[in-house]
Amino acid sequence: MEPLIRCENVSKSFGEKVALDGVSLDIPEGKIFGLLGPNGAGKTTLIRIINRITIPTSGAVYFKGEPITDEVVARIGYLPEERGLYRKMKVGDQAMYLAQLKGMSAREAQEALKEWFIRFDIKDWWGKKVEELSKGMAQKLQFITTVVHKPSLMILDEPFSGFDPVNADLIRKEILRLKEEGATIILSTHNMESVEELCDEIALINKSHLVITGGVEEIRRKYGNNNVEVEYTDTEGRHSEVLPVPEGGTTNDVLTTLIGDGKVVNSFRELMPRMNDIFIKLVTEE
Amino acid sequence: MNLHKLGIIIGREYLNKVKKKSFLIITFVAPVVFAALCILPSLIMMGAKEETKKVAVVDASGLVLPTLENTDVVAYYDFTGRDVDSLKTALDAVGMDVVLDISPLDSVQRTVTAHTYSAKPLGMETSQIIENRINDAIETYRIESYKIKDLDKIMSEVKSNIHLVSYTVDDSGKESISESSVYMVISMLLGMALYMFIALFCGMVMSSVIEEKSSRVVEVLVSSVKATELMFGKIIGVALVALTQFLLWILLTGAILAVAAGIVGKDKIAALTGGGNPTEMVQQMAPGVNVPGMDVADLGTLLPAADTTAVAADSTAVAEPTGMEAIFSTLGNLDYGTILLAFLLYFIFGYLLYASMFAAIGSAVENEADTQQLQIPVTIPLLLGFFIAIYAFKAPESQIVFWGSMIPFTSPIVMLARLPFGVPTWELILSVAILIGTFALFAWMSAKIYKVGILMYGKKSTFKDLWKWLKQK
Repeated sequence: MEPLIRCENVSKSFGEKVALDGVSLDIPEGKIFGLLGPNGAGKTTLIRIINRITIPTSGAVYFKGEPITDEVVARIGYLPEERGLYRKMKVGDQAMYLAQLKGMSAREAQEALKEWFIRFDIKDWWGKKVEELSKGMAQKLQFITTVVHKPSLMILDEPFSGFDPVNADLIRKEILRLKEEGATIILSTHNMESVEELCDEIALINKSHLVITGGVEEIRRKYGNNNVEVEYTDTEGRHSEVLPVPEGGTTNDVLTTLIGDGKVVNSFRELMPRMNDIFIKLVTEE
Repeated sequence: MNLHKLGIIIGREYLNKVKKKSFLIITFVAPVVFAALCILPSLIMMGAKEETKKVAVVDASGLVLPTLENTDVVAYYDFTGRDVDSLKTALDAVGMDVVLDISPLDSVQRTVTAHTYSAKPLGMETSQIIENRINDAIETYRIESYKIKDLDKIMSEVKSNIHLVSYTVDDSGKESISESSVYMVISMLLGMALYMFIALFCGMVMSSVIEEKSSRVVEVLVSSVKATELMFGKIIGVALVALTQFLLWILLTGAILAVAAGIVGKDKIAALTGGGNPTEMVQQMAPGVNVPGMDVADLGTLLPAADTTAVAADSTAVAEPTGMEAIFSTLGNLDYGTILLAFLLYFIFGYLLYASMFAAIGSAVENEADTQQLQIPVTIPLLLGFFIAIYAFKAPESQIVFWGSMIPFTSPIVMLARLPFGVPTWELILSVAILIGTFALFAWMSAKIYKVGILMYGKKSTFKDLWKWLKQK
């Protein structure tokens, strides 16, 4: 299947400084795609190239095989990491302004925003000034303005920062719901737990290079040490142990050995490395 | 450019600024101040005559006292022979306001010294009158001492008081009276107004850019619209704010003056203001113009009866237009259509040129405090324009003024200052064309800097950075 976004050999330099060096990757449609990397790796630059804020020095980005046009940009929703609002503006005016800049008519914007305000339970904020909002409240408003025009591609840069656990969960559910509805989501985050939980595929960028890209499960398996965690009971009582899978064998071989030894297996789990560990391993190895 | 989005940006910028309290206050308070400036000085001059000062004169010379005559302002009482020191402390007791102590005549220098003592300081008018009287008395004494027959008469005949009447002559030989002080004042007002407005509204553009950058709203915006659309939307939005303000100022000032005219009486206001504040300024600046007693309801015609203190009551002087008439005549001869058109053109393009530069500077910084250094090369030409404009109303034909009115960074201010003195049409057209061309060039360059600048955080930007951004593809 043709990817929604294809980056071909994208490079960007600011004078002497190289921010991206020949990055090629595919972002499949209808998936949540994690864009990972340490601070300053070039993630933001790549995002800005995808939504055409910045023009690449060389290489190109394609949307369904076509160069990115104004129409495409209008169908992207972008929540930058460093995000802000006009402090002196009213919440409703602000939301209307941003929605209209995305090409919605005043009426469409009003209707869609009302719906979102009800969904997020923030109806009474419409006439408030932005400066009266707490950080979490402002984040909610920003999330709404990112998705209100029903974008087919959403780029969310650290969407959970600034949220309490309850609201972070609300956003998590919204992201999954939007995916259900067919949207493609690029999720840039340092929160590896949410990557494991939400992302279908990832790309890891470090020092302006692409380090790895692919499915999350696939990568975790690839970097796994092939261990299993078992709990079993024998004559001496209950034990918990991590056992290696023999070279060339499968996890079943471990199980067979245990059962053959007359042990009662209570739990058995293939040990997958955490994304966190893979991240650290790949970034520090470079 | 997506015009629809540009419109949305302009709309937000405009409404946001126009709804601000500070805009409303300035818009509604300034006309009151303008109108007050028009009316008040004259009202004060008319109504607030100083109370008559009672002066106790102790004249040891015997020369001054006989020549003193009471006026509305000063009444003299003879206290000669009394002790000055005791009088000083007992002014209230004798019912006097001032002691005037005149020394005996110095027979060598043939002069006297004079002092006044009073509880409250003397007003300028009062002390001027007293001083003049003493001088007159001493002069009369000296003239008489020559013992030449009729010398005082000869002296008064010799005295001269000429007012220079200037005409401008065009090719067809048509003469129009020109009072250079009028040109100077109008020229100064126009130059100053343009400088102030450009500085004010460009500052507005810059802080608006900085606000978007420092509040980090800008990255969301440029993901929806092009950076150039954002920049020009902002510049145009503020320009509309400026034009709205001008319009409201003119309407409100007019309305207030009209209402004031209704209350005070039309003739008086017309006489007081001469139909607009420039005249008022002229009245204050041009010495020898007696405002209170004047009747100038009919501005267009020359008024032989106008009372000007400077002109001697000499029958030959009446045929020549006198100071006040010259002023009104000059005002009547100004080409207001051209001035208004030029004001709008130079304001709009001068503003656009500077606003695009200020937008570029705003894009390079994260808060207003950091603008100082980057602002210098932009504010200096603007200031220079202002200084050349000052020169323009002193010497409108000089080389520096000509070049100042051609160079686009100073031309809006300098050309406006030149305008009342008359500028050839080709110079006007050339100057506006250069200005528009330069604006186009600088708008393009500023947009390039702005595009990169608004997304640059952290490091404080320098000119080197701006130059790099300009060259970036």
